[in-house]
Amino acid sequence: METASTIPEVTVYFPGALREKVGNQRTVLARGRTIREVIDQLEKDFPGLRFSLCYETGEVRVFVNIFVERQHIRYLQGLDTPVSPGANIHIFQSVAGG
Amino acid sequence: MAQHNTHKEGTVVLMVGTKRGLFLLTSADRERWEIQGPMLKGRRIFNAALDQRSGRRLFAAENGDFFGTYLRFSDDFGETWQEPERGIQFPEDSGEKLNNIWVIEPGRASEPGTVYVGVDPASLWVSNDNGLNWELNAGLANHPTRETWQPGAGGLCLHTIVPDPSNASRMWIGISAVGCMRTDDGGQSWKFANKNTRAGFLPDPYPEYGQCIHRFIQHPTQPDTLYQQNHCGIYRTNNAGDDWIDIQHNLPSEFGFPIALDVHNPDTVYTIVEDPESRNNVDKQFVVYRTNDGGEQWERLTRGLPEGNEVVLGVLRHGMTTDTQDPCGVYVGTNTGQLFASRDRGDSWNLIADFLPSIYSVRTALLV
Repeated sequence: METASTIPEVTVYFPGALREKVGNQRTVLARGRTIREVIDQLEKDFPGLRFSLCYETGEVRVFVNIFVERQHIRYLQGLDTPVSPGANIHIFQSVAGG
Repeated sequence: MAQHNTHKEGTVVLMVGTKRGLFLLTSADRERWEIQGPMLKGRRIFNAALDQRSGRRLFAAENGDFFGTYLRFSDDFGETWQEPERGIQFPEDSGEKLNNIWVIEPGRASEPGTVYVGVDPASLWVSNDNGLNWELNAGLANHPTRETWQPGAGGLCLHTIVPDPSNASRMWIGISAVGCMRTDDGGQSWKFANKNTRAGFLPDPYPEYGQCIHRFIQHPTQPDTLYQQNHCGIYRTNNAGDDWIDIQHNLPSEFGFPIALDVHNPDTVYTIVEDPESRNNVDKQFVVYRTNDGGEQWERLTRGLPEGNEVVLGVLRHGMTTDTQDPCGVYVGTNTGQLFASRDRGDSWNLIADFLPSIYSVRTALLV
């Protein structure tokens, strides 16, 4: 039987603009087998956070970049990108806008 | 940041939404202005409104470039901001995603706690608890023609909301580029109210819908009378939008965005028309136009407004407003960051703020 402890625990790094939403923390621990599950866990711990990362239709916001270690999930399996125990997940905002 | 309790009753407040934050200007005499801000620094604030029906709740539309768009509110004049408990977010199965919040409109005096918001994609959201929880108006979301609606250059935006204070079941909304719509049953159903308004960019210039309405306002004592500034003309209706009368007359352009009126002299209406291609003053004089007869004749107001080959100013649809004083004050914010004010119904003007970020909206409130 899978228990919470068998689900990978990862470290999520947040940009300054989002730290207020996660208790003013630079990093947060979360459990999930994929990026999607990690975001689900984060949403449970910090209600409303998902809306900052994803549109209502589910996809990641166009100017939000999520990296697993140094790889952008856009070039992996997107939100279904698997994560390993101890992985570092970085969330950045794009260098964009005007 | 000044606390609200340092502002006396009778203070005029201007809420200036800009590309890089919200500014508040306050004045006791409309001559000397104190400016505070930017609040919500760096954010695109399309609109703001002060709801004084129970306390003083300041709402702001924060349209995010990166992490989403939020309606925020403050009970301390912008020192701190809160988010709703259930905010403006489309249901997951709707297939829609929130782009921008365009307008915030406190409801009628007869419906305390009710606030309306218009967004892109064109939808009406309603709160009945002072902004804590929001619901999507289903009547508009499920309109049978919705699939055929086309956006204007700024998006498919619901930018104007006029709840009729004389009739709790009646309301008008403006959507670019769909036109004016009216409900007579409290929002359960919506019908188009575009007859005789032009859509010169369509094969049929007088369609049932598809007009690019820019902004409209209601006469304060004749509830069936509204004035509309459109992409293709300026109009008045005397029958609640069943049909419209062209009142462009001697205006030099059919194109413009903002419109406002003097509540003490409601046949006095203000507009700013522009060159439709360059979207700035038609000639080298920046002009606010005024009619004192409901649109039969327009006069140029220029005293104190800039002129010159280098004067290239545009005003967006929410960039002009009037206050409720007598003589009324008129306020104009440009998309290059100038804020002009008149305290004599537009007869003369002063530049009361400059070097602001591009101004999206100017709203006013008289503190009670």
